Amino acid sequence: MSFVAAAIAMLIATIPAAVVLVRGEPPEAVIGYEFITSVAVMILALLAQGFQRPSLFELPVLLAVLMYASGLVYIRALERWL
Amino acid sequence: MKAAPVVSDVLLGLAVLLVLASAVGILVMPGAYAKLHFVTPAALVAPILVTLAIGVRMGLTENTGESCLALVFMVIGGPYLSHATIRAIRVRERGDWRPGGSGKAPGTEEEQ
Repeated sequence: MSFVAAAIAMLIATIPAAVVLVRGEPPEAVIGYEFITSVAVMILALLAQGFQRPSLFELPVLLAVLMYASGLVYIRALERWL
Repeated sequence: MKAAPVVSDVLLGLAVLLVLASAVGILVMPGAYAKLHFVTPAALVAPILVTLAIGVRMGLTENTGESCLALVFMVIGGPYLSHATIRAIRVRERGDWRPGGSGKAPGTEEEQ
């Protein structure tokens, strides 16, 4: 139960970053996006542990890999086009 | 009362506090450079605490192993992302990441 509670608390913690993502300048929005994806990895791991579903642990692993690739895409776009 | 659940809950609490504090920092701090400092605790330290919490609670199981795998990717990728972000912001603002750069936007320099 504590894992699910921690996941909910971390989900709430994404709200300030979402505000920055929506209302901030493009560089700040990218930083908000990086924060949210980092927290999302932990949220998925906590939910998988909280609900005792070992198969769902593949989601945070995949997101951790994709976070790196997608972050670089946004950074490249920020540098050149945004 | 067993110690493992208590230790696990303490680690989870620390991770949540860290993420909440970082979220407030991202919201409050002015400018992208200052905000970026608050991504690192959430992207590096908090995942370590969460992985430790899962490891303490579950022992050496599949859950712990996959958490460690996700942690490895985050620990490797996080610093690269932070560095690339700060470089991109500098290039965006000054045209070059080096001190005393060309001052032109990337891709606009004429070839000699």
